[in-house]
Amino acid sequence: MSMLMDSIGEAAAFEPMPSPKITIKDLRFYYKGDVAALKGIDLELAEKRVTAFIGPSGCGKSTLLRVLNRIYDLYPGQRATGEVILDGRNILEPTYDLTELRSKVGMVFQKPTPFPLSIYENIAFGIRLYERLPKSEMDERVEWALRKAALWDEVKDKLKQSGMGLSGGQQQRLCIARGVAVKPEVLLLDEPASALDPISTAKIEQLIDELRADYTIVIVTHNMQQAVRVADYTAFMYLGNLVEFGPTQKLFQNPDQQQTRDYVTGRFG
Amino acid sequence: MDIALVNSRKRRNRIVAILSYAVTASGLLILTAILWTLVINGLSAVSNLSLFTEMTPPPGSSGGLANAIFGSVVMTGLATLIATPIGILAGTFLVEYRRGTWIAELVQFVNDMLVSAPSIIVGLFVYTMLVLPFGHFSAFAGAISLAIIALPVVVRTTQDMLLLVPNGLREAAFALGAPKWKVITTVSYRAAFQGLLTGVLLAVARISGETAPLLFTALNNQFWSNDLTRPMASLPVTIFQFAMSPYADWRSLAWGGAFLITFAVLVLNIGARAIASRSRS
Repeated sequence: MSMLMDSIGEAAAFEPMPSPKITIKDLRFYYKGDVAALKGIDLELAEKRVTAFIGPSGCGKSTLLRVLNRIYDLYPGQRATGEVILDGRNILEPTYDLTELRSKVGMVFQKPTPFPLSIYENIAFGIRLYERLPKSEMDERVEWALRKAALWDEVKDKLKQSGMGLSGGQQQRLCIARGVAVKPEVLLLDEPASALDPISTAKIEQLIDELRADYTIVIVTHNMQQAVRVADYTAFMYLGNLVEFGPTQKLFQNPDQQQTRDYVTGRFG
Repeated sequence: MDIALVNSRKRRNRIVAILSYAVTASGLLILTAILWTLVINGLSAVSNLSLFTEMTPPPGSSGGLANAIFGSVVMTGLATLIATPIGILAGTFLVEYRRGTWIAELVQFVNDMLVSAPSIIVGLFVYTMLVLPFGHFSAFAGAISLAIIALPVVVRTTQDMLLLVPNGLREAAFALGAPKWKVITTVSYRAAFQGLLTGVLLAVARISGETAPLLFTALNNQFWSNDLTRPMASLPVTIFQFAMSPYADWRSLAWGGAFLITFAVLVLNIGARAIASRSRS
């Protein structure tokens, strides 16, 4: 374990927590009926830092992530109560404009989801929703996004080819590029590397490390080493509750809760 | 190990395999026999160019199927033009807007009944709606009855193909902030494109051989007609009429028509496959 700890970036040291980008207050979530999948979560997500949600399957970490851009809204019957305050406004308000929310909060899913379009059009799709750019500026923006996602060199000669033809790891970086292209402030990553091989995983993690300077990143992962490697802060969840939250180093080395200790040392979960 | 048990299992395995092969072979044999008969009898009629240039003749004189071919193309085409947008939009409604609700279940149930409804009933329905009130048969009524037969096929395949589009793809588009219509047209339709196209082509194949609904609606016409409000000839009805006749030249023309329809359906299917494989690569 101590070897792992050596790899933690300086940012994860015991600094005072930066101002929160997102403040979650007493958040409860119901897939249907009265059975709560989240049972009153209180949490602050620091601006321009990486926060990881860890916990065993079914603990609610993905559910929590899906609340942050209200993607659950697609499914009638699912509902959330409490408050999720982004830049001073509660995004759970029914009047909150979802298009605006999703332009600020991008999301990358567990399985790579390239659209059945060319690589170029995959990136341009999101940009066109918000901006009307002349061709040359659009080209620049697409290149910028692909560079951000460390994919440019691999695809610059085949931008017209289908995004579905890329490898799994490339597809996932294409999805990250697509999310970055609309210039969001928050990036939600739902187990972004769990379907990928170790080399692609390393590339994604390196990418997260580069993106942390500009974006507030929230990552759900079932891989604790990954949380240690990429996250400044980590939240451990269990059965719909937030058990413990703190700087990653502290949570893994010296957790306050016995449950957290058992989980991070591999004794359950 | 019980040798007897193992041997009896092996024996049963062999019997099932032999049965499967035998049934497949007999199915293929029947299909080949039909196609062979069609080629033998139809090819000589089709090789005669007058088939495509001359009108259906009175018995005993030479002629072709030009008016029937034209009528089939017009009515099948018009029916496809009517059924495709309605069918695709209905399938879209069922999958993208009301998936899993009772109204979708109900519509799907009714639609599945329509798929297997006897086509003669569709013909009678259109007869009472569009033929009786106007007092005469018309090509338009024929096209409508074909459209009614094609519609449930398009709805069903659209539904099936849209259901195959992974939900993650839709979520990813919504997560970018795309409005619903954009997600449907850019992501769902594109992902399902080859399936949607195949569905339409299957519907065309289905209606291009329909006879019963046309008997009650477009009827037939000995002459060339461009008028949608008048009776129009079609290949299936002409085949029906000529094949039942005692005249050898009429029967030969019927074989030619049957060959043409089969060939057209074959081309449609190959076309569908070609488009499908091209959009996959």
